[in-house]
Amino acid sequence: MSCEVKSKERAGIINPMVTCQPAGAQYASIGIEDCTAIVHGGQGCVMFVRLLFSQHLNENFDIASSSLHEDAAVLGAVHRVEGAVDVLLERYPHVKVVPIITTCSTEIIGDDVEGVVRKLKKGLLATKYADREVHLIPVHTPSFKGSQTSGYDAAVTAFVKHFATKTEECNGKLNLITGWVDPGDVKELKHLLKMMDVDATVLFEIENFDSPLMPDKSAVSHGTTTIEDLQGTANAIGTIALNKYEGGKAGEYLRDKFQVPCVVGPTPIGIRNTDTFLKNVSKMTGKPIPESLVRERGKAIDALQDLAHMFFADKKVAIYGHPDLAIGLAEFCLDLSMKPVLVLIGDENPNYAKDPRILAIKEHAEFDMEVITNADLWELEDRIKNKGLEVDLILGHSKGRFIPIDNNIPMVRVGFPVYDRAGYYRHPKVGYNGAVWLAEEMANVLFTDMEYKKDREWILAMW
Amino acid sequence: MPYHTFKCSEMLPDREKHAVIKGPGEDITSALPLGNLNTVPGTITERGCAYCGAKHVIGTPMKDVIHMSHGPMGCTYDTWQTKRYISDNDNFQLKYTFATDMKEKHVVFGAEKMLKQNIHEAFDAFPEINRMTLYQTCASALIGDDMDAIAKQIMKERPGVDIFVCNAPGFGGTSQTGGHHKINIAWINNKVGTVEPEIKSKYTINYVGDYNIQGDCEIMTDYFNRMGIQVISMFTGNGSYDDLRAMHRADLNVLECARSAEYICNELRTRYGTPRLDIDGFGFDLLAESLMKVAMFFGDDCVEKAKAIIDEEVARWKPELDWYAKRLKGKKICLWPGGSKLWHWAHVIEEEMGVKVVSVYSKFGHQGDFEKGIARCSEGALAIDDPNELEALEAMEMLKPDCILTGMRPGEVAKKIRIPYLNIHAYHNGPYKGFEGWVRLARDLYNAIYSPVMNLAAIDISKDDFETDKGFMTRTMLSDPGVPREELHTENMYTGKMDIVTHLRDKTYDFPAPEPKADAAV
Repeated sequence: MSCEVKSKERAGIINPMVTCQPAGAQYASIGIEDCTAIVHGGQGCVMFVRLLFSQHLNENFDIASSSLHEDAAVLGAVHRVEGAVDVLLERYPHVKVVPIITTCSTEIIGDDVEGVVRKLKKGLLATKYADREVHLIPVHTPSFKGSQTSGYDAAVTAFVKHFATKTEECNGKLNLITGWVDPGDVKELKHLLKMMDVDATVLFEIENFDSPLMPDKSAVSHGTTTIEDLQGTANAIGTIALNKYEGGKAGEYLRDKFQVPCVVGPTPIGIRNTDTFLKNVSKMTGKPIPESLVRERGKAIDALQDLAHMFFADKKVAIYGHPDLAIGLAEFCLDLSMKPVLVLIGDENPNYAKDPRILAIKEHAEFDMEVITNADLWELEDRIKNKGLEVDLILGHSKGRFIPIDNNIPMVRVGFPVYDRAGYYRHPKVGYNGAVWLAEEMANVLFTDMEYKKDREWILAMW
Repeated sequence: MPYHTFKCSEMLPDREKHAVIKGPGEDITSALPLGNLNTVPGTITERGCAYCGAKHVIGTPMKDVIHMSHGPMGCTYDTWQTKRYISDNDNFQLKYTFATDMKEKHVVFGAEKMLKQNIHEAFDAFPEINRMTLYQTCASALIGDDMDAIAKQIMKERPGVDIFVCNAPGFGGTSQTGGHHKINIAWINNKVGTVEPEIKSKYTINYVGDYNIQGDCEIMTDYFNRMGIQVISMFTGNGSYDDLRAMHRADLNVLECARSAEYICNELRTRYGTPRLDIDGFGFDLLAESLMKVAMFFGDDCVEKAKAIIDEEVARWKPELDWYAKRLKGKKICLWPGGSKLWHWAHVIEEEMGVKVVSVYSKFGHQGDFEKGIARCSEGALAIDDPNELEALEAMEMLKPDCILTGMRPGEVAKKIRIPYLNIHAYHNGPYKGFEGWVRLARDLYNAIYSPVMNLAAIDISKDDFETDKGFMTRTMLSDPGVPREELHTENMYTGKMDIVTHLRDKTYDFPAPEPKADAAV
């Protein structure tokens, strides 16, 4: 029995599992109130990322482009940033935060974004917008490095570095850096903190990504983390960054710069990781874990117990997605006696092979499994189609949807993006309620599959 | 003064002359919006890039091809699975996409070696596919990789393999349109004339500028085939790579989307003398006229067949179109597509569905598209070039449309102000081409406008006095209030199947025998 951690052997990508850094920075930027980013590059780097967010959330998000055309690509394009900042500020009077997100093109031509920000501060902002609070924040996300995960991480770090300001007093709050999650996850995390009676600054408050259709037409989908929230992160009791690779760096920055204690991880997927999260919150704030959460946890375990040894035990699972999500799901599957035989992570990071969670899985896996980094979706499909891999269930996002469809394998959509199932962003994947949702979703998908395939469907009458 | 200035754009001199309201008695000589100019940065434009115009709009609908983008993974990932260009080979081109995964080291030291390895890997993974299109991106253009040279090397190393290179980086042009142009020209320069087709009919065409969205192209080729016309190639919906290399042998180029594909038709005319015939596959009258035009080009037997098709189709579907038209009469719509539909639909949707087109816009159209579109629009219509978020919102507030016909994300904007949207890039439940397709559009429009769900959205339960005696509303209760059930003639609501395309793939056709052509033997 072995667990192998290795990088994809092919050079290229057949069906990509992840997108590039600017998309991650854009996802972070829409979590901040009064924030509209300018993506410095070609128009497609914005238009298609906005579409991607729309596919997942069925909402629109405003992000601007510097609209790089041929002349600017050849002669330098910083003037396009100057123009974009002015036009954006003038037409959107509420905008205060303007991240300037670079792309492959503008990194290759070597545009000096810091330089143009300095120039704008001295010029345009000091004159035309002298009465207005405006923050221009360069975010470097060349597309040829990392992935959407590292881009998200880079943006969170850039925002925290820009805003965090130490004042005399501790604000009594906890910083909760969620990583790349859904509105349903933020709702669940806030529920847990409320039960703990803990006041937190959530990076980012994205519950409003799930926005209503109102009689007065007023609703807009956008995050609600404020400038003050971000400034206050330096004065918190402590930081919990749930995802090591999406926001972990920002927590470490606050620790190193302002001595704000920091715990990175674990991603609170499944019962055990949620337990650890609550214990961390309790330690940091001195607040006890209340009876109500003991009960909530009990309900979750009750639900899992109905399913685990009857339906989940020994089921082989393939998992792909963001690193923290994929690792968290693998841990949860092990707790449910399932066999996560293949875990695919879409980018390369030397820390993945050293990640203690992966090392623990390596040590204890009682079956053969592989963890592939820098993976594409062909790593999964090729194993199933051509190399004899048999799996009972796939956990992953919608870009891989043709693998289950063409190979008759049940799949639970989880991660980003999910566009071929309705409303999945609404449901939590974290916390006790997330554990229940994930487990019951897996069970119901397996049940439907048994019925379609007439595979012992009679078993479902009584369990 | 026909130019329209949006309040939200008053401070932008560069946005002057990008919007026009067609005044009473005015025609296109009074004013046209500017088009195809550089975007004003920071406006939150809806435009995309030249790469997506080349790869995503025109290249990838080709069905039997490995579509590979040379650059970081994002360009490929973000555009993948965002359109519905289906095909009759189990949608290979929808299911598989390839990126070379350019990393920092490649940017510094060059990516040609890695590109080569990528191409081999892709052909090795799919031994049944031996055609490839290779797309430049911003990154590979800026580092200056010679993709053509690599493609040539591979074709030498792997006999039987053919590779097409398209150099249309994202920044190459004002919008998608730059990419449309580049891929058209690259295809005719490098691929047309390199394969000789099997001629099966006396009459042959290329069907150009249709991307088989939800099966549009298959509906149209069925008509052509029933008329005895062999479609040598489809550019590019459901199109085969090798068929498209044989475009030079068609008698006629039948052009649908003149915005994205007129370039290749013009080149085929110049280089091979093939005439170009622009048609409209949308709308009963325009489609009937179009089929007749094509038929008349070939001869009487073809005309007879076209007439028979038109008579049969109109008889079958007109009552259903009219049922919807009666209920759509006077409803206001914004016709906000990418390019060509603004003139394809502007007039005929008013004529045949009774709706009023209060606005047209185009993201990447040229002035010529506005010329055609505004000429077909009725009085009072607002035409906008390169619209942005605020202008679109202001237009909707001003015009109060009942539905906007646009893409998914702008549709989400409209939803929040309680205006339903219909996807006319990828369609809701298309295809919308063909006689039956046009009824499907009317049906979708009706379903959007008379949605009992949207009907609930305006009620503020905290303030308003609202009816409490109803457990439901039906669409007809909204469209025909108070009309007795027996007078509704609901039997004339759309009666077609959900899937009207798949069955066409099993059909066989009889063609009039080709006449031996002197040059065909050469």
